[in-house]
Amino acid sequence: MTTAAILANPASGKDIRRLVAHGSVFDNQEKVRMVRRLLLGLARTGVERVIYMPDAYGIVPRALNSIEVPLLVEAIEMPVANSQEDTIRAAEIAETLGAGVLVVLGGDGTSRAAAKGTREVPIMALSTGTNNVFPVMIETTVAGLAAGLVAANRLPREATCRRACLLEILMNDEPADIALVDAAVYTDLFVASRAVWDMDKVPRLFMTRAAPEAIGLSAIGGQLTSILPGEPRGLALTLAAHNGGTPVTAAIAPGMFATVHVQDMETMLPGRVFAVEESPCLIAVDGEREVIVRRGQRAGVRLSTDGPLVVDIRATMARARDARLFTGPANGKNNHEKRRGS
Amino acid sequence: MSLSKEKMVAMFKTMNRIRLFETKLQEFFAAGRIPGFVHLYIGEEAVATGACASLTDTDSITSTHRGHGHLIAKGGNLKLMMAEIFGKSSGYCKGKGGSMHIADFDLGILGANGIVGGGGPLAVGAGLAAKYRKTKDVTVCFFGDGASNQGTTQEALNLASAWKLPVVFVNENNGYGISCPQCKSMAVTDIADRAAAYDMPGVVVDGNDVLAVYEAVNEAVKRARKGEGPSLIECKTYRWRGHFEGDACTYRCDEELKEWIAKDPIPRFEEKLVENGVLKADGVARIKAELAAELDEAIAFAEKSPLPEPSALLDDVYA
Amino acid sequence: MAKKTYLQALNEALGSEMERDERVFIIGEDVGRFGGCFGVTQGLFDRFGEARVMDTPITESVIVGAAAGAAASGLRPVAELMFVDFIGVALDQLFNQAAKMRFMFGGKAKVPMVLRMPQGAGIGAAAQHSQSLEAWFMHIPGLKVAIPATPADAKGLLVSAIRDDNPVIFLEHKLLYGLEGEVPEGEYTVPFGQANVAREGSDVTIVATSKMLHTALCAAETLEKDGIKAEVIDPRTLVPLDIETIVNSVKKTHALVLAHEAVGFAGPGAEIAAQVAEKAFDYLDAPIIRVAAPFCPVPFSPPLEQAYIPNEASIIGAVKSIR
Repeated sequence: MTTAAILANPASGKDIRRLVAHGSVFDNQEKVRMVRRLLLGLARTGVERVIYMPDAYGIVPRALNSIEVPLLVEAIEMPVANSQEDTIRAAEIAETLGAGVLVVLGGDGTSRAAAKGTREVPIMALSTGTNNVFPVMIETTVAGLAAGLVAANRLPREATCRRACLLEILMNDEPADIALVDAAVYTDLFVASRAVWDMDKVPRLFMTRAAPEAIGLSAIGGQLTSILPGEPRGLALTLAAHNGGTPVTAAIAPGMFATVHVQDMETMLPGRVFAVEESPCLIAVDGEREVIVRRGQRAGVRLSTDGPLVVDIRATMARARDARLFTGPANGKNNHEKRRGS
Repeated sequence: MSLSKEKMVAMFKTMNRIRLFETKLQEFFAAGRIPGFVHLYIGEEAVATGACASLTDTDSITSTHRGHGHLIAKGGNLKLMMAEIFGKSSGYCKGKGGSMHIADFDLGILGANGIVGGGGPLAVGAGLAAKYRKTKDVTVCFFGDGASNQGTTQEALNLASAWKLPVVFVNENNGYGISCPQCKSMAVTDIADRAAAYDMPGVVVDGNDVLAVYEAVNEAVKRARKGEGPSLIECKTYRWRGHFEGDACTYRCDEELKEWIAKDPIPRFEEKLVENGVLKADGVARIKAELAAELDEAIAFAEKSPLPEPSALLDDVYA
Repeated sequence: MAKKTYLQALNEALGSEMERDERVFIIGEDVGRFGGCFGVTQGLFDRFGEARVMDTPITESVIVGAAAGAAASGLRPVAELMFVDFIGVALDQLFNQAAKMRFMFGGKAKVPMVLRMPQGAGIGAAAQHSQSLEAWFMHIPGLKVAIPATPADAKGLLVSAIRDDNPVIFLEHKLLYGLEGEVPEGEYTVPFGQANVAREGSDVTIVATSKMLHTALCAAETLEKDGIKAEVIDPRTLVPLDIETIVNSVKKTHALVLAHEAVGFAGPGAEIAAQVAEKAFDYLDAPIIRVAAPFCPVPFSPPLEQAYIPNEASIIGAVKSIR
């Protein structure tokens, strides 16, 4: 059965960056409306079944409240822990259940959790978080169409998806965690509210991509160079607390700018380990303090080209147009709806 | 995080002080040694402690029916608290208030409150007074998930935001309004979502992580002091005990309680402090012994204090 | 002394107290440039600015609660509700918070706030904008209740209310705003708990409050022509209540009629009647009679509303039934 999975994170868009920066309070009702439109899009592509991550709010069941779609919509059977473990587990299970696409609603952090769960199911990350480099901001109706076409295998995989790079966080040489966009060494001992905004505590910064129009820590690299998503190289920066090096000003969170002093800039090639000198410290992955480096532990960061498979919505829709999937009479499954609408 | 080691140790002490105090009250209540009823704060210690850690004596708080933790975190005197809960004339309120009505205006404690949602408008008033006088003082309004559905709370959020008052609304979401679970009482899971309606920052934090609470409230307090207006911080937590002592808790299951006990904020903080060398294991033991002795003193004070004379009944109705 | 209206007297009291004490401020709906629903705060916005004359949203709970919180924090707010009827929305903040803080907290709190509220029927405002609710407030220990009937008392009582360290309910009758009378210039206070013997007499005591004082004085004039000398007393504050002046008068006249616009059943007169019965039963030659509104909501249509409000004839009838 052609299956798409939806992982909508009920906790995204609510962290301390509403206070220290000017992030939006992204309420769950808005996520419900986004999923509703996503389902309407999916329903027009040949997808038969949608499986979803259960959450305490019930984002997907609520989305079904006011629409009728010819889809079998089922919750993934799993306990709800109300943490990022939910997203990781749901992504893992979605792969075993044969999902052809994983639509993730959240920010960089949620996308990272999904990628920890699966690297094989194509991921489409839609922005509802704070720092959104990995997810895209696009109308979910159209995202639903693209996701459905990928899930239903209606277009060649190479035309719709590309493999992203990621950063592996190594602890005593063993992979301990990953980051999709950036990893920052953070000289503090406490995870606390997770977010990173005090750049005085960031001596080292690694990233898989760099774009001048980005938001978040990778925007610093974006002011120095460009690395496209999926390009097999990364960037490692060494920052000085106050003086020396090149001062760079970038938007590190919504409405928040920081000026850092870049002392050194190195290209990360796949496989090469960059040692983390600081210990103890924390490593923030995709903007969240996450990995605790205890005294005596040896941490490192390494670029890998074996990241998640990512749906390119624009390329998918262009290919669908070229294949005339939405041109001509009687396409899609909801012809009755079409008639009623016209 | 800009916390000194001393401050973190003080916070650790506060959490333990609250836990010990409340655990003792649980015992006293079961033994029939205190009149009336009590609402215990066990399990929620990180919220009051983290929230009050950024406040000074000239900053204010408004508290709730489950207020012992707030009072202790704001510096309340254990002897006077215990005596009040015993109904003694030496208590904070001379035995006129009891558990739900303790105040200490010298410490900016504008009172616990027996009315769910009663504190919001008062906090607006305290914030208004600070703005009127052009002080930099901030008021923290503690309120529960139940109170967040009261009109008074919503009115308070609205006016505080409209007037950019220095008030930090700290929501203690323990999942239940007496017996009614949150999913039956509101259509949202995150009370912080409601901040958007008032154009103020709304943040969700792990209410069992004292440093997460501290960090968020600290930023909100800084913001308030700068005149940038109120914030709403929702702390997700859980009360281990019933709504009141004697509540059979038929409305929730043991597994849920066990899950939350596993997230006990005190050992969590202790582990972090020990791991990072802020505290040593023997230091922890010493602190706990000191706190036990301090509590014993408070109990002895309460026990040996006289009950109020009936002739005091009509005192203090009017100023 | 100059002639001023009741409204001008209130306005003068507010202005002079705000000049005298910078902790005094005004908070309420449309009290700013608009000048208050009935115009009591007119001109104060221009004089003192928006920092001291604060327009709130329509949010009675927070008006009352913020006044209480600010008062407990050391300021002296004068809050206005547009109509006394709206207190229902804000009652918790008044009677569970403001009124009880001092007692509950063992004498630590001071809540020096005034809550001004127009009340009374007679303008076709119907059931939710016309009540007289003084008995409600009298029933809550911790509140004081002032209810001025004349322009001079309006000024003197309001000044006393603002200087009082307790929450004071200040009830103005909306049909008295235009009433003219002599008002002392400059510093003038009327102490709480001191009744005003508005007319001396020997045959019957009529205790009347607010607008009903003027009705009672007219009735006394008419009764005099029939040879009945009525003593008319206005308690001016119901909490504290100057029962002594009333009891002393009853000891002289041996008859008591109570007149108020509030509903008679469990109304303010019931308390006065009970106290007089307790303290001066042996002096009474006749039953105590209450002249008050009937036990129904205030109606809208003019003939119904007039039937609702006690009038001169009902006071004369009551007196003649016992004298």
